[in-house]
Amino acid sequence: MKGILDYVPGSSFLHRLNPLVKLLLAFVLCAACFVTGNHFIVLGVIALNLALALSAGILGRALRMLRSLLKLSALLFLVQIFFVREGATLLALPLGICITDLGLSFSLLFVLRLLAAALPLGLMLSVTQTSDIPNVLVRRLGLPYQYAFVLGTAIRFIPLFAQEMAGIMEAQTARGVEFDTGNFFKKVALLLPLCAPLLVSSVRRIEGGAISAELRGFYLRGRKSGYKDYPFALRDLCALLGGACALALAVLF
Amino acid sequence: MLEFERVFFGYEGQSATLKDLSFAIGEGEFVALLGENGAGKSTLCRLANGLLKPSAGRVLALGMDTKQVKTSLLARDIGFLFQNPDRQICQNSVRAEILFGLEIALADEAARRARCEEMLELFSLSGERDPFGMSRGERQQIALASVLARAPSLLILDEPTTGLDYRECMAIMGIVAQLHQKGTTILMISHDMEIVADFAGRALVLSEGGLIGDGPVRRIMRDEALLGRASLLPAQIPALGARLGGPYAEAFSVEELLSLAVGKKGEKERAEA
Repeated sequence: MKGILDYVPGSSFLHRLNPLVKLLLAFVLCAACFVTGNHFIVLGVIALNLALALSAGILGRALRMLRSLLKLSALLFLVQIFFVREGATLLALPLGICITDLGLSFSLLFVLRLLAAALPLGLMLSVTQTSDIPNVLVRRLGLPYQYAFVLGTAIRFIPLFAQEMAGIMEAQTARGVEFDTGNFFKKVALLLPLCAPLLVSSVRRIEGGAISAELRGFYLRGRKSGYKDYPFALRDLCALLGGACALALAVLF
Repeated sequence: MLEFERVFFGYEGQSATLKDLSFAIGEGEFVALLGENGAGKSTLCRLANGLLKPSAGRVLALGMDTKQVKTSLLARDIGFLFQNPDRQICQNSVRAEILFGLEIALADEAARRARCEEMLELFSLSGERDPFGMSRGERQQIALASVLARAPSLLILDEPTTGLDYRECMAIMGIVAQLHQKGTTILMISHDMEIVADFAGRALVLSEGGLIGDGPVRRIMRDEALLGRASLLPAQIPALGARLGGPYAEAFSVEELLSLAVGKKGEKERAEA
């Protein structure tokens, strides 16, 4: 079963972009959400992400990503809305708690930023083979392979850990732990003891991977060790220009 | 005990993993689930205890429709031993690990302690040891002890002997056989045909998501064509018996083959005398 961040093979415009450009585009779109204070620009970034997902044939996955963040967003929205006291009071509640227009606006912006910033990275991982990320950083930016490998491994391990956690939760449900409860807080409390198996399996996996890499000449790898070249094309320039426009709009408005 | 009624299942974005499965497992049976990698064996087991819900059809476990009941509730009576014990183990002592499963099943503290000690004795385990520092075979035993502590009436084993040496394998299977003798229903996935021949009474053979064989292990083991369709080979003794032919074709264990051979030799000697 595919995880939400696993690579989806394809030949769309996004798939064919240079991995370095995809990485830059993801960061530019994330940055655009944070440099603007305009709700509509952030909504526009979300819409742009969904349009890109549609063009890459992964709209369903993008919507699943948004859906998976909804509960957390709702929780953060509620926390934020009660903490901001500035602005005109819209609703006064007992115990001196009130909802203000600024609080509402700031909370909404905060949640929209969270959703808009999570999408580009998820999309980038969905259309880029994880091995391409460290390789392009070594080949095109001259980053030492060891550092690029650490970054690539960290990205590669996100879906692996997610799968491992899903497996652990499945095993615990099968022994009667109520992960199938509808209570979000109860679920979080039940997750804590599971950090031990996740940590143990992660350390075992990393140790095995490190030994295996070292036995295959990890320290001998350099800039020209990879067989793949990552040339830039016109589409990469177009994508970068598009990203720059989005960032400029975010800065201006 | 367990009933599949025209069950279909497919993972999201993939074609159907299981297609039109119908079978029933009665109380006290020891059933082996056979098939090539990717045939859908683990998926079938996950459907049996409610971890997965069928896309179409109905799964009845202990008389309950798994779509209508929470998995954690079914888990009180259905034990599931996963292939990888590290997914089950989450406590830092063997005793705490066994008690963890019992806390959900038994309300009485004294009863929990007593049951835990019983399991430690049955598996010859030291309660104070850290499970994460123990061997793979020992961790598998801890995971099984933790499952058995809740005395399930249906026990599902997903390749319980993978990665174990012969001694560890026999230790696990010995305990499983004891449980079966006491009336527990067992559904076991295994690629080890010797284990299947020695312990199971009935076999279900899956191939590409469909059930292609269902019957007594003795009959299934002799059907080389059927086993071949599931990328399997029969256990050594039934295969040898089949090659020798005649009365030997019925031999299913070393003892049976020997008794047949000795009987034949005796007949020959008597005829010569």
